[in-house]
Amino acid sequence: MNNKQSSRRGFLKATAGITAAAVAVPSLFASQNSKNENFYGYEDKTIGSFLKLKSAGEMDFNYPDADSPCKAVWVNGEIKAYSLLCTHKGCPIMYSASSKSFRCPCHFSEFDAELNGQMIIGQATENIPEILVKVKDGNIIAYGVNGLIYGRESNIKG
Amino acid sequence: MGFSINDKRPLPPVGATKKNITCEFCIVGCGYTAYKWPKGTSGSNKTNALGVDFSKQQPALGVWASEQMVNSVTDRDGKEYNIMVIPDQDCVVNRGQNSARGGAMAATLYSKSTFTRDRLKDSQVFGGNNLNRTTWRDATDLTARVLKKIIDNDGPDQVAFKAFDHGGGGGGFENTWGTGKLFFTAIQTRSAAIHNRPAYNSEVHATREMGIGELNTSYYDTELSDTLFVIGANPYETQSNLFIMHWAQNLQGATIEAKKKEFDKGETADAAKIIFVDPRITASITNSIALAGEENVLHLRIKPGTDVTLMNALFSYIHEQGWEAKDFVKKHTQGFTKAANTNIISLNEASKVTGVSADDIKKAAAWISKPKKSGHRPRTAIFYEKGVIWGIKNYENIASIVNVAILTQSVGRVGTGVCRLGGHQEGYVRPPTPKGMPDRENLVVIDAEAAEGNYLAFFAWGCNPFVDSIMGERLSGAFKRRSEIVKKAMSRNIGADNETMADAIYRACKYDGGLFFIDIDIYPTFKTEVAHVSFPAATTMEMNLTSMNGERRVRLSEKIVDAPGAAKPDCLIAATIANALKFLYEKEGNSKMAKRFEGFDWKTEEDAFNDGFAGQGAKMDSQGGPTGALASYDLLRENGNNGVQNPIVKVSNGKLVGTRRLYTDNKFGTKSGKAMFKPTAQPPMPRQVANQMKKHEFWVTSGRLNEVWQSNYHTSRLPMPSTRWPLAPIQINPKDAKEKGIQSGDLVMLYNDYGSVRVVAYVTDSTRSGELFIAFGFPNSPASNIVTDFVDPDTKIPFYKGTAASMRKIGRIEDVANSMSFKSRI
Repeated sequence: MNNKQSSRRGFLKATAGITAAAVAVPSLFASQNSKNENFYGYEDKTIGSFLKLKSAGEMDFNYPDADSPCKAVWVNGEIKAYSLLCTHKGCPIMYSASSKSFRCPCHFSEFDAELNGQMIIGQATENIPEILVKVKDGNIIAYGVNGLIYGRESNIKG
Repeated sequence: MGFSINDKRPLPPVGATKKNITCEFCIVGCGYTAYKWPKGTSGSNKTNALGVDFSKQQPALGVWASEQMVNSVTDRDGKEYNIMVIPDQDCVVNRGQNSARGGAMAATLYSKSTFTRDRLKDSQVFGGNNLNRTTWRDATDLTARVLKKIIDNDGPDQVAFKAFDHGGGGGGFENTWGTGKLFFTAIQTRSAAIHNRPAYNSEVHATREMGIGELNTSYYDTELSDTLFVIGANPYETQSNLFIMHWAQNLQGATIEAKKKEFDKGETADAAKIIFVDPRITASITNSIALAGEENVLHLRIKPGTDVTLMNALFSYIHEQGWEAKDFVKKHTQGFTKAANTNIISLNEASKVTGVSADDIKKAAAWISKPKKSGHRPRTAIFYEKGVIWGIKNYENIASIVNVAILTQSVGRVGTGVCRLGGHQEGYVRPPTPKGMPDRENLVVIDAEAAEGNYLAFFAWGCNPFVDSIMGERLSGAFKRRSEIVKKAMSRNIGADNETMADAIYRACKYDGGLFFIDIDIYPTFKTEVAHVSFPAATTMEMNLTSMNGERRVRLSEKIVDAPGAAKPDCLIAATIANALKFLYEKEGNSKMAKRFEGFDWKTEEDAFNDGFAGQGAKMDSQGGPTGALASYDLLRENGNNGVQNPIVKVSNGKLVGTRRLYTDNKFGTKSGKAMFKPTAQPPMPRQVANQMKKHEFWVTSGRLNEVWQSNYHTSRLPMPSTRWPLAPIQINPKDAKEKGIQSGDLVMLYNDYGSVRVVAYVTDSTRSGELFIAFGFPNSPASNIVTDFVDPDTKIPFYKGTAASMRKIGRIEDVANSMSFKSRI
């Protein structure tokens, strides 16, 4: 219950900064773009070091563009990565490393980081979009998105 | 993990067809906007019917269509269209917010490429070894011939029906009127039961007899309450946008300015406190703590079945402290002394019975009724739902709550109310049966009678008695056995004309114990397997439909797509059956009987609305009351998704004007006009349940999951809920799970003397040791299989929420266990 109380405080902070969060989070890692013809216009983007994620447990990045905050997490010996915009109403979801789940401070939807972003409980109609990642030369590379990111009619803006 | 092309959605172009839709699911009835445009065309990301520039990332809480909010459909003319259904920013109920259910309305539409493709499209009649598609005329002719034989030879009471009486999808004022007129005015049967229970009764007889209708406040008023008192309900999951869009604001203190405007001068206005009475820890409770802080949330975690004692203890302590509304009680109530003689109980005794500490009872009483800093009475809104409605004894459970409400004047004032929270929306308008229904104490328990061999024909109309009834396993077994007798008779008459076939069916029912089973629904279900005739119905978005939400708000939910195949609105199905019977009586020259079946010359659902809610129904039993006659489709369309709150007061400048809150004049619905206290003694554990408790280890209660609606008919066909909940989960306390060697994801069997059910273990602190919670309404793991046959003798409402069972681990279905998250939902 304490976790949920602290998320209330997080809520005020989070909602105050919603627009900023959506547009101002800088890309943490230099992109290493290369056209990937397999995935409908998505481009490969290096999001960081595999070893760094493994030791830190989580890593923020933006994909497929700067307006889309995402997080990679290390769970059950594998990398999982998700959009951080709640598929209910777009509030930034928060990761709990202890429960390996995301919680939305606005309307309390929760998503399972170990199970493809499945909604544990809540008001969204979709699971959280999963960012497809692969490891190459010690780096994690995002190369696609499974699911529509909140606030878009197309994941690739054009 | 595979990659699917689900990262782009079409947008409605400017000029796309736009309609108002009221959510077809829960009682809150959120407003949605539907767009329809020809497939192959699209708005651009900058110029579209939504008026949103999607070349930019939309901010949180903005306008957006999720994947489930878009679908493609084919109308009867063969043309293909895209459909988008999104929450309406301008609707006062939900202000642009969707729930997990309503947000998927577009996905529930019939589509040839999704799991909704198995919608019933044509009438069907049993032949060979299964149902065969046929014409409306063929199926209604056969049905009418069988019904006529029964009515003529055995009387109309041998035709039983179990049907929705509510609003939303699978209901609505049009359809309750159509079905009611068919069964009560035309056929004239009294063998009636309501969709989710075994008799034709109200779930809230007590409050009505105490003078207070069960939906008496407004959602806006709940933003103004000082205290929200919630008994046997989990609104975050089951009335989601009432909790999120109204209560949450109040709990966070965001409505204090509005309170200052609405309250008396100088009256204290703070953020609300909230009290829950529930044996479980629910998401409503933990989310309330997140919103309001632990100090403003009180969870009275009672022993199951002791609600009446808890309410009596509050009643007693409030009276003892002198916190009651003395002037109101004196002027506007009656029966206090008589009630007090029965209800007064000491805190210690109540604490022993309920398991709630005396301090917590005192605290709850203070939050409900102790004068505020300014000396004003607190404004308490009291809400209850199935936890007590389907509890140990329906009548006393509700009456004991209303006693507390009228003792504290928690009705009629700004910020107050004593209401059921509701499940589905409402939509009742029906004529009376000519012979009258028995009093509530003498109502016939239809399901038990049908299981025992009574009735010759049975309509299951927009409901699933295999899932929502007492002793479900026995009942479905009886239906199957009796259906088989008729099927055999039908199979012996290969190629027979309808008169010969009707005769064979009738004889099988009359002399061999058969039951002619008519199924009217939108999807095939297990009950369709016992049907001899099946009719396909239309639902929300496929017809114009009016319903009323939990604050009595009536909207016109507009048609935007064609129903699949030859499916029709239920009111027009009723009319088709009535007209077929009329034709048969006319043909034999029986004008007296033919006359009974007149008045069904409706071409559209609007005709049924004008005949019922806005016509003669307004003089009968209607939730629109007599002023329902002021309503019309045109006027309701004009009022849009904000509709009008019943009762309608007047039409002003072309707009319907309604009523925000009831009983503001303190005139209640009793002969004297005074609200009536009732004696409410703690009911004993019913014999049937007590017997199961002696034999079986676990107390079993049941309830809802927010993603699963009613009998899971739509939701089991949607990607997210069907993956999330492939079977009903059973919540088990970690201690019990450990003792039984059960882990989350294991398949377990619950069983008792009434039946058994296989469910998936979900280990959680939500339930206490010794108590299990099973999700209700799953046809593939029906909780009703282990429910006893007990009903409250005074109202015939079942005790669905209480039974006992043993639990055994079966094993593990990896596919099920691996598809579900088992993380904490609290």
